[in-house]
Order: sequence, then structure tokens, then C-alpha cells
Amino acid sequence: MKNNDNLNAALAAATCALLGSAVAAPVAAQEESSGWSFDSTLLYYGESDDRVRDISAAVAAQRDFGDERKFSATLTADTLTGASASGAIALDRPQTFTSPSGRAVYTTAAGAVPLDDTFLDTRFALNASWTQPLARLYTVSAGVGFSTEYDYTHLGANLSLARDFNKRNTTLSAGVAWSQDDVDPVGGRPIPLAQMLDVGNDSNKRNGGESKDVLDLLLGFTQVLNRTTVLRVNYSYSDSSGYLNDPYKLLSVVDPLTGDTLARVPIGQGPDGVYLFESRPDARTKQSLYAEVKHAFGTPVMHFAYRYMTDDWGIDSHTGEVRLRWPLGDGYIEPQLRYYTQSAADFYRASLVNGAALPRYASADFRLGDFDATTVGVKYGHGTTGGNEWSIRAEYYQQTGSVPQEQIIGNQARREQYPDLSAVIVQFGYRFRL
Amino acid sequence: MNTSCAATLTRNADHWVGRFVAMASPCEILVDDVQASLAQQVLDVVASEAWRIERKYSRYRTDSAVHRINDSAGSETVVDDECANLLDFAATLTRLSEGAFDITSGVLRKAWTFDGGNHVPSQAQIDALLASVGWHRVEWQRPVLQLQAGMQIDFGGIGKEYAVDSAADQVERIAPGLSCLINFGGDVAVRNARPDGKPWRVGIENCTRMGAAERVVQLSRGALATSGDARRFVFRDGHRYSHILDARTGWPVRNAPHSITVAADTCTQAGTLTTLAMLKGCNAESLLRESGAQYWLQ
Repeated sequence: MKNNDNLNAALAAATCALLGSAVAAPVAAQEESSGWSFDSTLLYYGESDDRVRDISAAVAAQRDFGDERKFSATLTADTLTGASASGAIALDRPQTFTSPSGRAVYTTAAGAVPLDDTFLDTRFALNASWTQPLARLYTVSAGVGFSTEYDYTHLGANLSLARDFNKRNTTLSAGVAWSQDDVDPVGGRPIPLAQMLDVGNDSNKRNGGESKDVLDLLLGFTQVLNRTTVLRVNYSYSDSSGYLNDPYKLLSVVDPLTGDTLARVPIGQGPDGVYLFESRPDARTKQSLYAEVKHAFGTPVMHFAYRYMTDDWGIDSHTGEVRLRWPLGDGYIEPQLRYYTQSAADFYRASLVNGAALPRYASADFRLGDFDATTVGVKYGHGTTGGNEWSIRAEYYQQTGSVPQEQIIGNQARREQYPDLSAVIVQFGYRFRL
Repeated sequence: MNTSCAATLTRNADHWVGRFVAMASPCEILVDDVQASLAQQVLDVVASEAWRIERKYSRYRTDSAVHRINDSAGSETVVDDECANLLDFAATLTRLSEGAFDITSGVLRKAWTFDGGNHVPSQAQIDALLASVGWHRVEWQRPVLQLQAGMQIDFGGIGKEYAVDSAADQVERIAPGLSCLINFGGDVAVRNARPDGKPWRVGIENCTRMGAAERVVQLSRGALATSGDARRFVFRDGHRYSHILDARTGWPVRNAPHSITVAADTCTQAGTLTTLAMLKGCNAESLLRESGAQYWLQ
């Protein structure tokens, strides 16, 4: 390294002496890609305690047609297996639930946070987009997306326009995206706050699907601050309406003194406690502000990003992320650290109290609760002489949440209220050209 | 030769293209959309500079400064400032390459012909010529140069890149801030970005398929230089010898990349990096990587 610093310095000095005082501006060159380039990834996501496991394979293809006209398409296949927390609280006794299909029961162990382990899903997704200059300094981009899984179909479209200013050192962009998702839950849509019933009794469910519409608006600003630093700021507004419930999430109805779930005697097969299906508002408005700075310290490159999100469900979240790409041999190593924290939704309830007025909206979904998450990871990328690159990324995710003190009743205090979650993520990537 | 009538200017969609021949290479300039008279002035000043440098530093012209130096080998010659600067620069490259690069190595071409064939001279032939090679045998006290009898210098590997930067200076002098791409046989410089920020597109020739552009580099500012042996190499005993000679051994560099392109602030810097890297043979890429410059190999 030292020798080459000397080489560069000696060369710069000698060139300056030869060419005189004329100072040339720093070089700005980049290769125009031609033909197809592909970015393929295989990702494994595994939660601790045999909860959710996801294996996902994706291929992104990009074709540059010259003159800044680009086509790209991504195909993704996902397989999800495992179990996720249903929202019901842990008890000192085993608990029995009717499965989402309404045709069977499952039992969780005493002391354990109940998991619904019946899901297995395969998802396919396809996205495609086209980008091209519209007029001098204007770039337009349009895309469509489609995904399908057993109980869910997503259809989306987006359009954005960017304009360059200031010798292309500044870019302003505006975009709009729209999507429609159709949800057709296994065993029907539970009526919000209806009670879980015995196997074979579907009077608490409605047949058929429901849909959700999402409209996103995005404003972006990118500024090249100097030769080594780029700043990007995005504001986004998102409006969702329609069916926003998770049809598989429950709330336990508890005794106001003991905090234990009310017992219920099934006729035949059915739940042995009182559980209600969750109820969320049918609209949600989110706003987020994202800022990112990229700075090159010679060859190492530092990336720092922060996102603030707030919505009208009462959730505020902050995400901070830092990555440092460090050259190493024929490749680079990139450690990364991400921290996420969110406050609970206004209608988040660990449980519902028997005898109290039933709220209009309630959910015990831990993802709507108060939690923090830290991700530490490292990526190693290696360039091949043909200009291709393979990479491996490993991350460890640790999530810790809590239930508000005033919602903890009686015996609940000595049991696990909000299960910690940890996950391992491993991703292989190979980027190549044809 | 009087080539001044051979510079032609044509109008393209949003820029001017000027063409001429200098230093045995096709030369080209692309000028951002300006009035025809200014484009013509720019072409004139670039072509004049290229021809001036060619005249002054050609080994073949009897009226050139290099010919005068080579012709008086054995005795002292006083050189002007520009020539002295080039000699100082060459001496620095010799030091940085630990003797592999040397402007006195041209005499070795009496033994080597790089025509794609398999003719390799005898070691005795090379040893005889090596007696006349080596900057350490030269007396250089700016502005006085003294070669030993039988020695020769040439500015191959520096001259064309220097001419590109020097022509860019001339354009800046008559049209400050104008965006103009100067390309002398694949060595390219752009002093100023175009007002709309759109880059100039530079094709890098594929060395296996002549004439077909392998890749396109978008150059907004700065320079590109390419060193390659597409047509010029010797193949012998399973080794491909490039036309780049290591002045220490008198032998061509073995197993160097077919072609190296480097981007740098100036064409001289870019060209020097391609040359220094080529001289490293199979280790060319590690030098380039550690230099931190952008580069492309074939």
C-alpha cells in the first residue's frame, strides 16, 4: 500500500511538472454496460426456536439499450415454513386452538407463547421496469409488479420522473406507485373481534377475499456534495385502505384479576379458552423521511442512512444504518450495523380484559408492539477477472420487545409477555454478464 | 509532410467532429455544440499542436529535436524547456519502474519485429544492443544532455499522451470552459464537462475483434489511455510476448494483459499507468488495483 501511495504521489508530481500549472479537473468516467447483466441471489432466513424459515431465490436481469434506456426485471421465488406468534398470551397450562382452516385443532405447551405452526407458503413475484430519458435532463421510469401466494395476490404499478440540475450534480425526482392486494385467507375471513369457535363452526368467518389498495407518493433529492460525498433525501407518503387485518392473529380474553385467559369448554373439538380475532382500522397513512450519505475515504466507502417513519396508527419508528466497504485483496469486506426501534400502535393490546368495554380496534400482533431490533452483519464480495462478482453476506438479527406495564395483569407478570426473536440471514450472490 | 489540409470538420446531431492524422494515428476531436467558426478554430489549434509535437519529437524527421539529440550521441546537446520537462518525466518513469521503462530502449527494435510471427532474436544480438540501453549511461544536467555514442532516445509511450494534454491546454486557452473531447489514436482527454452534464462516449476497441467496440466508457471529464498489443506481438514456445520491451533484459514483457485502459485526471497520468502496469506482465492488475485508478483489462 505504502509503495503505491508513493507511486501515485510521484506520478502526480511528475505529471504536474511536465504539464505545467494547468490543473485538470478530476476524472469522471464510468463504463456503459451493454448486453444483459444478471444479479442472482439465494437467501436463507431462519428464526431461532424453529419459527419462521424462509428460503428465497431471486434473479434480477438488466439490459442497457444505450442512451440511458434500461430494462430490468426481477423474478423471485420464496418458500416460507415454520410458525409465528399468534398473539395469544402464554399460560401455565397447555392451550388448544382451532387452526385457521377451521378443520382441526392444535395445542401449545404450558408456559410457551402460542405459535401458529400451520403455515407453509410459496410465493412467486415478478417485477419489471423501463427507464429512459424523456427530454433533455429528464428521466422517466415506469414499472409493474405481480406476486402470488396461496392466500394473497399483489398487483402494482409505478411511475417516476427525475430532473437533473446543476451539471447533473443535483437530481429531483417525484414518483407515484399504486398497488392492489387481494387476500383470501385459509378458512375464510374472520369477523373482527369475533370469537374463535369449535371445529366445523364457521359462523365467525366470512367467505371470499377482500382487497387492500395502497397509494405511495415519493419525492426525492440527490446532491453530489463533492467528489467523494453524495447526499440523498427522500420523503414518502403512503395511504393504505381496505382489508388491513392479519386474518391469523388473535387476542386472549383474560380475567381482570388473575390475568389468565378465560376457560372455555368445547363441544367436541375446539379452543379451550376465549380468543378473539384481531380488528385493525381499514385505513392507514404513513409518512417517512429518509436521508443517506455516502462518502469515500480514498477507496473505503462509508454509507450512513437514517429513516424516520410515522403513521396514524400511532407507530413511530427510527432506523439507523451504517456500512463500511473496505477493499480486501481482490474484493471487499463490508461490515454493517442496523438499529431499529418502534413505538406500539394505539390499538396494540397484549390481551383483552373480560368485562371491560370491547375496543373498536385491537391487535396483539407483536409487530405492532413496542420493540427494538439490532442487526449486525458482514458481507464479502470478490471480483473475478471477467468483471463478475460473487458475494456472501451473513447477518444476525436480534429483536427485543415489551408490553406496556399497565397492560400486564396478575399472573402475566411472571410469564414471558413479548417473546424475543433472533434470526440468522445468509445470502449468496453472483453478479454476471452475458 | 504538409498535412494541414487534411483536417476535416463535420457537423453531427449535437456536436462537431474534427478529424486528421498525426503521429501515425487517426486523431479526432468532438466539440460541444458551438458556432462553426469556433469549432474550426478549436480543430485548427488541436491539429497544429499535434503536428508541432510530431515534428519536434519524431525519430524519423531529420529536423526534429529528437533526431538532433540522437545524431549527436557522444557529445553534449542543449535542449529547450519542453524537451527538458519530457526528459525529466521520462527519468522519473525509469526510476518508478526500476529501470523497466527507458527512453533509450528503442534501439532494441533493431532486433525485435512485432508482426504476430514467431521470430525471436538471439541472446547475443540482444546483449549487443543492451550495451546501448540504459538511462544510467546518460549524462543529464538540465538543460544539457549527453548520450553515449550509439545510444538513441525516443518518446514512444509518453509523446502521444503528452500531446493530448497539451492540445487540451491550447483549447482551454482559446475557448475557456468549452467541452471538447480530444482523441489521438485511443488516448483521450476531456478538460470540461458538457453544460448539460451528458458524458462523451468513448469506445474501447476489442483486441480480438478489430473494429468492434468492446465496451463504451462514458467520460464527462478527465482522460483515458489504452495500451494494447492487438496487432503487435510475438508468439513463441507457448508464450505470447507483447511489444513492450523490458529495458533491463531486452526481452518483451511476458503474459501481460492484451490491453489495459486506465482513467485518470490527465492523459499523461493515464498513459503512464498503462505503461507501468504492462511492464509488470502478469502482475499488471495488482499495480492497477493498488493505484486506485479505474481500469479495464482485456
